[in-house]
Amino acid sequence: MANKKSQKLFTLTNDVVDKNNIEEVMQQAITLELATIPTYLSTYYSINRAQDQDILYAKLHKQLSKSGMRTAAEIEQLAQELKLDILVYANKSAALIMSVAIEEMLHLSLACNVKQSFCQKAPDLMGIGKVLSFPAYLDGHKPEFKINTAKLSLDQLTTFLMIESPDPFTDPNAIGLLKATVDYKTIGQLYEKIITYIEGSTNPEPYKKRPQLLPPEETKRPRPYYSQNSINTVHYDRNHKPQFANTNDTAGLVGVHNKATAIEALHRIIEQGEGSTTTQNKKPHHTLQWDKKTKMAVPMEIIDGEDGGKTVKFLPGDYEDGGEELAHFAKFLEAYSLGGYYQEKFTGIDGLDDFFSYFVYNQATSPTLADYQATDGGNQALALADKLASAVFAYILLMIETCYHKEEDTQYNLFMFGIHKSMIWFLSEIGNHLHKYTFSKGGETYQGALTFEPYIFENHALSPKEQILEILAELSKVDSYWSDWGDNYFPSLPDVGLDHVVKKDIPNVPSTPYTHHH
Amino acid sequence: MSHLDKKELHVCMGLNSCKNQGATNSNDCAGQGYCSTATPHPCHTLNSCKGQGACGLFGTTEEFCHPGENDCRYQGSCGVPILASRFIAQGPNKGRSVWLLARARFEEKRKGLKPKVGPSPQPFGPTEEYVNALPGITNKITSSCGQSGNRSCSYINNPIERKAAAAARVSKMEQESKAKLQDTLSTCPKHAK
Repeated sequence: MANKKSQKLFTLTNDVVDKNNIEEVMQQAITLELATIPTYLSTYYSINRAQDQDILYAKLHKQLSKSGMRTAAEIEQLAQELKLDILVYANKSAALIMSVAIEEMLHLSLACNVKQSFCQKAPDLMGIGKVLSFPAYLDGHKPEFKINTAKLSLDQLTTFLMIESPDPFTDPNAIGLLKATVDYKTIGQLYEKIITYIEGSTNPEPYKKRPQLLPPEETKRPRPYYSQNSINTVHYDRNHKPQFANTNDTAGLVGVHNKATAIEALHRIIEQGEGSTTTQNKKPHHTLQWDKKTKMAVPMEIIDGEDGGKTVKFLPGDYEDGGEELAHFAKFLEAYSLGGYYQEKFTGIDGLDDFFSYFVYNQATSPTLADYQATDGGNQALALADKLASAVFAYILLMIETCYHKEEDTQYNLFMFGIHKSMIWFLSEIGNHLHKYTFSKGGETYQGALTFEPYIFENHALSPKEQILEILAELSKVDSYWSDWGDNYFPSLPDVGLDHVVKKDIPNVPSTPYTHHH
Repeated sequence: MSHLDKKELHVCMGLNSCKNQGATNSNDCAGQGYCSTATPHPCHTLNSCKGQGACGLFGTTEEFCHPGENDCRYQGSCGVPILASRFIAQGPNKGRSVWLLARARFEEKRKGLKPKVGPSPQPFGPTEEYVNALPGITNKITSSCGQSGNRSCSYINNPIERKAAAAARVSKMEQESKAKLQDTLSTCPKHAK
């Protein structure tokens, strides 16, 4: 921990935002938005959303039968109830985390738009990607706390609550505070400082036009980039009725052209993360409270749900300003509260395992590529697959960064056929498949998980896309599962250089074998 | 060369323009094909050609309005074929049938053209079992119950009751989607080209 704490992403020297540091502060904001994405994704990938319900039922039935205390009918009824607890919670917690991860991508873009337009400087995402590793720390946050890439647990959800907390808090588990940079006690406070500076700024308006990540303005058919929901944000209640984690009208991208739109973009980040801001957080809302005894976050009250399961009751300030969409903090507090409730319920029933163990893969906390490469306990296929994922993630950053150097049409192609495809398809596929590999460390055996370690394209002579294809070819030799991916899907990525030059032609890709993964 | 290579490419059952342009090469008329001729693909932006993207699972609200109407390679919204149980995951029409919208779009495009559009072999599109039973389908579709656009699922323990409940759920969605089809179309702009 001490070693990692010295690995600051960067250091600023002032406690205030002013004309001398606004560029760096915006880069700081971009860094913290970016840092949340791997941690949320790593936890998302740790959840098995679609396990075989009959196998799960049989396991629970067997465990409940061992005590000999229940009748056959009681065992059947309880096994079914517990199966539903597991399946519905697993699906819901995953959908909630993914819905937040999607909005963090939006926040990253909004912060980049503000830097590009207000500061007239392009965001440096590749620079962040070269140093961002886990565990990480939100630079300047008071208290500073560790952010891991880790499996779903109450501890990991507590970290998420600290990231998204709408109010200042004291971490009861903190060892001590570090020297601060630009101090803030919530992410919202950092953005409020930036907003205050922008409000008082005298930059000529409208700001000089530079490429931003925005939907094309003039097309016959609208081609927006941003989508609040996907099938990954859908979850099912106990009656298998679909629920949607994000509402339709959740605010999307904002073009930053002047003071008002810059403030609108930043304000959007605050309200989506922390909740209603219309009355300066005076609406009643849940906050991060700690149990003095256990030093755990205090959960929401659990009540009976309409589908026969359990639910929680929200307060008006738990939502965004529109009042329909739950803020990130509220979504995580719901997942934390229900998770705690079910964990306690399972603990109280003789013969059962830990609640989370039924649907969470056994990932190590903040694993490293070195763990996977270790001669003792490592796994070559896992190491190569993880390296591939890290390269894909770095390539996503390169493509986003390139959007800020290109005009609309190139942006659209890059976004849809590069960034979106890489996020929802390539990274997801690797993230899910890594669980099939195992490695050993410290006498324990774990399932593989994405490390999100920095991948430096500059270390090799080949172009970034060529490097990705080369890693894939190497991986395919070790595990033939990946052969189709090299033949078909990966070659369809746009070809983007480190100088942000995009090659025009995407190579022709032969027909793809059909496998339904969703 | 596959027998599909010279065919009109479309994304699902009942979306073909002419005789013998369904996947099984045996349909009598427009709109009566038994399955997609588009290269099957699993996800957003992985389609090989114009008109081969489906929709419903991944993509934007606007893309979800135009199943099978993508302008170019890689611009399709989602995987092919479109199963009857697939619903739209985003926008004002979320929760409604993708196939019914695709069929309505197809009928819209074919209006006034010959041959006339005939009834689809199945009124709400193909089921998973139907597609898997078609000749020549080597990669079977295996939708999962949890994370899936497949509404054809249930958590009931008894297999027979589970199947019945799942079928009833899909049927309800189909009927509701049919009743709201005009509303669905009204929220989506017509195709621009």
